[in-house]
Amino acid sequence: MGRTYNIIKYLCLLAWATFVVFPFLWALSTSFKDANAVTSGARYIPWLEFEPSVEGWTSLFASGSRGINIVTPFMNSASVTLLASIVSLGLGTLAAYGLSRFSYKAGFIKNSDITFFFISQRIMPPIVLAIPFFLMLKEIQALDTIFGLVIVYVALLLPIAVWVMTDFFASIPKELDEMAMIDGCTPIGAFFRVVLPNSTAGLVVAGMFCLIFGWNDFFFAFILTFTETQLLPVAIVSLNSSVTPWWSLSAFALISVTPLALIAIVVERFMSRGSLAGAFR
Amino acid sequence: MAEITLKNLGHSYSTAPMSEEDYALKPVDLVWEDGKTYSLLGPSGCGKTTMLNIISGLLHPSEGQLLFDGQDVTQKSTSERNIAQVFQFPVIYTTKSVRRNLSFPLECREWEPKKIANRVAEVSELLELDDILDMPARRLSADQKQLISLGRGLVRDDVSAVLLDEPLTVIDPQMKFSLRRKLREINRRTGTTMILVTHDQSEAMSFADEVVVMKDGRVQQSGRPEQLFERPQNTFVGYFIGSPPINLFNVDVQGDSLACPALDLSGIPRGQLEPGALQIGIRPEHLSFSEPTEKGAIATVEACENLGIEQIVSLRAQTGEAFKVKSRLRRKIGVGSQLAVSVAEKDVLVFQDGRLA
Ligand SMILES: Nc1ncnc2c1ncn2[C@@H]1O[C@H](COP(=O)(O)OP(=O)(O)OP(=O)(O)O)[C@@H](O)[C@H]1O
Ligand SMILES: [Mg+2]
Repeated sequence: MGRTYNIIKYLCLLAWATFVVFPFLWALSTSFKDANAVTSGARYIPWLEFEPSVEGWTSLFASGSRGINIVTPFMNSASVTLLASIVSLGLGTLAAYGLSRFSYKAGFIKNSDITFFFISQRIMPPIVLAIPFFLMLKEIQALDTIFGLVIVYVALLLPIAVWVMTDFFASIPKELDEMAMIDGCTPIGAFFRVVLPNSTAGLVVAGMFCLIFGWNDFFFAFILTFTETQLLPVAIVSLNSSVTPWWSLSAFALISVTPLALIAIVVERFMSRGSLAGAFR
Repeated sequence: MAEITLKNLGHSYSTAPMSEEDYALKPVDLVWEDGKTYSLLGPSGCGKTTMLNIISGLLHPSEGQLLFDGQDVTQKSTSERNIAQVFQFPVIYTTKSVRRNLSFPLECREWEPKKIANRVAEVSELLELDDILDMPARRLSADQKQLISLGRGLVRDDVSAVLLDEPLTVIDPQMKFSLRRKLREINRRTGTTMILVTHDQSEAMSFADEVVVMKDGRVQQSGRPEQLFERPQNTFVGYFIGSPPINLFNVDVQGDSLACPALDLSGIPRGQLEPGALQIGIRPEHLSFSEPTEKGAIATVEACENLGIEQIVSLRAQTGEAFKVKSRLRRKIGVGSQLAVSVAEKDVLVFQDGRLA
């Protein structure tokens, strides 16, 4: 009975794992194919079914007509995502702390309304924001610059940071801050010396979401840049020409998910240490 | 160290209080004398925590003034007031070691490292925390955590007062007893004012020089434990202090004096009372019983509870009123038997409309 159950369980898990991992393996194998191996039917195993070539990978670091250089878009993407995430996390954490500890009132607007206002920024379809953002960036001459993209990404990521951190601070009893003040901290001191060190788990999760959403965004990167400041997702698309270079595309895709995969591994470690659940008490 | 004065101090959590009902703490004048131990006693939700939070500055009162040694501190922040407070549930800094937890209040006040180390050593010895000083604080059991909270409260030796908000709830009974003794000892040695919030009357009575009884946001009475016991200012205090609570009997007015048919008493001085609901109260400890005789009140035994060295006898008077008597355990008392009940006149308290006359 137990044995059969285990067998079925592992078969199901295996099937699911294959389903999830297959696209990656497929991309990995494709990145080593040449034009011939891609177009003449499905082939899976290098050396046996096709002769591997590193053309796909080298083309990404070539210059001139032989391909495109991926290093610049990669660095652009990294700077924009990191800067925007840091700013969002900083501002978002402060906002969330305020929202979780103090009561604000402006007419009928209360704390929960302010929190909802932040979240509602993500409810709107991006297309609604595209034109206003375009015009605003144009006004301050920040189209096609890292600076302009950072501003827009902060607007996109801030709601996520506020949302995650408000929830997290709500789970930290306010007695912790009160205790810190009794022990002699100012309210700001209490936040930095006591609450923040207790919030690493929340900060890691919020940071992870910011990095993922920032890194993966294509829409705004596409609309708000032209030639000067190309981000990774846009660069991938621009690879496409009359003959689709599947091998380069695959290599490119793999490179662009690598940072996220690394983050996922780090965060997973962090979460499995149990520091997220029961971070307090 | 300071004398803490509440001047017509009250607090309402609603921004526009309409009536008395809206006040979690009704305006009160009260003085906490320097160096004494106090218990703040009252049922759940009566405003004990509100009172402490106002004293420590976590809460700003909606009206009235708070004075430390005659100086108005109503608008001062918590950290400026130099108050120690311990909450009901342990609050510890989970990211710090036990030692850093204990030294944190001193670091915040920028003591010299050497003085900090000495002081932490003293306090940890007092609370028997020396062995775990270098453990991460999050690994500890609930009562160890509470000891750390307590230690953080005691580590500053110059505080105006130590406020303890039911800190002993999570601590096991044996430990509770010794902690209470330690707190008293610290008070005697350092002369630090201590206010212990509790809803356990025996804890309150055994800890404090003075007990303050609250109900529904109002201070009912404050005084030495025996005063509250012997002369409760109203029936609530009579009821809340003492176990079992005070017995109340109906009385008849006979000219200038009162009579209590249930106990066959008459000629109780009436004093200057206006007409109103009159009752007399008698502590169960002050009643005594004996074999029935010709004279005096007779009551029927309904139950008898043996407490080892004492017994609590539930009786019903011939008027139908139920009451209790607490006495030394002498002999077995059969349920249904008849007993004569008597009381000394000095132990009879007259209440008018629930207030001691
Ligand atoms: N932050 C708050 N907002 C609104 N009302 C509150 C708040 N805190 C307490 N109250 C109300 O004020 C009253 C007094 O509360 P308080 O916490 O002072 O009681 P307590 O005597 O400490 O009770 P307990 O023994 O349960 O701790 C209660 O009716 C409570 O509902
Ligand atoms: Mg309370």
